[in-house]
Amino acid sequence: MSASPIDEAELKVLLARAGLPHSPEQVKAILPGAEIVQRLLARVNAPLPREAEPALTFKVEQK
Amino acid sequence: MSAILTIAEAAKQIAAKKLSPVELAKTHLDRIKRLDPQLNAFLMVTEERALADAKAAEARQMSGSLRGPLDGIPIAHKDIYGTAGIRTTAHSKLLEDNVPTRDAHTVKKWADAGTVMLGKLSTHEFAFGGPSFDLPWPPARNPWNREHFTAGSSSGTGAAVAAGLILGGTGSDTGGSIRGPAALCGIAGIKPTYGLSSRAGILPLAFSLDHAGPMAWTSEDCALLLQGMAGHDPEDPASVNRPVADFTAEVGKGVKGLRIGVVRHFFETDHRASDATRAGIDSAMDFFRKEGAEVRDITLSPAADYHAVGYLLMINEAFTLHAPWMRDRFKDYGELFRDRVALAATFSGADIVQATRRRRLLCREMATAMEDLDIIVSASQPGEAPRIADVPKWANMEKPSFTMPCNVTGFPAISICTGFGQGGLPVSMQLSGKPFTEPTLFRAAHAYETATSWRNKRPAMAA
Repeated sequence: MSASPIDEAELKVLLARAGLPHSPEQVKAILPGAEIVQRLLARVNAPLPREAEPALTFKVEQK
Repeated sequence: MSAILTIAEAAKQIAAKKLSPVELAKTHLDRIKRLDPQLNAFLMVTEERALADAKAAEARQMSGSLRGPLDGIPIAHKDIYGTAGIRTTAHSKLLEDNVPTRDAHTVKKWADAGTVMLGKLSTHEFAFGGPSFDLPWPPARNPWNREHFTAGSSSGTGAAVAAGLILGGTGSDTGGSIRGPAALCGIAGIKPTYGLSSRAGILPLAFSLDHAGPMAWTSEDCALLLQGMAGHDPEDPASVNRPVADFTAEVGKGVKGLRIGVVRHFFETDHRASDATRAGIDSAMDFFRKEGAEVRDITLSPAADYHAVGYLLMINEAFTLHAPWMRDRFKDYGELFRDRVALAATFSGADIVQATRRRRLLCREMATAMEDLDIIVSASQPGEAPRIADVPKWANMEKPSFTMPCNVTGFPAISICTGFGQGGLPVSMQLSGKPFTEPTLFRAAHAYETATSWRNKRPAMAA
């Protein structure tokens, strides 16, 4: 579950594409958080069995 | 014994006409005036409303028409709960002048139950960005030591209950925002089963993880408050339409026969909790065994798996809600909220679907683990409250949370105090159960609280 690296240039592009233009200082301030998110993404993107379908997050009878 | 009453005690005295709701309200308003300048728990004190509510309760008391155990009880609401005609800010510059026209469903239910509303309580910005020092109001302080953090986001409720400014209050919990402040402020707080209490009229953070619940000095008081909140509301699409349990029905029945699983790896290896936290849990398990419960260790997926799923879904849903404002009014947000939520820009739709698929597996895992258990035990927080100035921007992301598993799965969970650490601040444990088994959680929590002395000690400033 290794994380993909993310650098300031890539982060700046991603933020801008989301409509959140950041100054270089702001990008630098967010980078440590983006690195943590990469670790979280590595964990959720580990291979899953095919039957792990999102439509049944909660049991029907719980409703 | 503390001079500040619990809700259960106050309700008995009000019912017996030995306690005036008006005098009780005045006592708490005086405490707020005296202590809150040191705590910042309140964003607004609604004194006129409180006295009007209290007078109405007293009239019912005198005419023998009390509405139940919450009638005349001083409470306050986290400032993401909409209150008709009363400013509701989410502790944010963006909603500085926001005055809802309707009460949140749960606010109305508590008002209908006769509660006395003392005001609106501080939160982390939009229940996520905190502790922040760049918002229109300062963050709440921990009454056990004002240099220390309350946790969040129901920070004002945690501080106000611990200091005895109110007897109970509302919180919301998306990743632990009820149980965290309950733990660090040494009180009780329950995140109910997903769907049990309506979120309609409460400013959302993340639809699929948000829960509304109560916080109070004791678990029994939480049971009384939850009774006044729970129930179907067609305006919340997640609200369940089923009979509401009697949450105090099992209080006082002890723990004999309960089957308890301890997720020891969560707080020993996945994210090692402090010595005092671990000792508190061990001591509680000794108590449960001695009283006839069956206690054994269980293994779940690493806490980090639950944390990753919950955190990614949370910031994704929060970004979806806030994107228009974040594009137009970016600088009106505090740095912590905007920087944490902006991270949603760094992942894809496919990542979110993958998180959702993994969520299903985790829900199934926890349901399977609970098939032959009544309660699962873990820590609520890793230890005592850190100094508020030392809480890093990414603190709630870096290490796996103990509370997030029950947001991911929707299972109910309560945090209760298990003593004090080396710094003199509270430590805690978390009891979780199957969906809609809140009465069992209250049963076990009450048995522990009444067998130990922790509920007799208030912060020194509250004396």
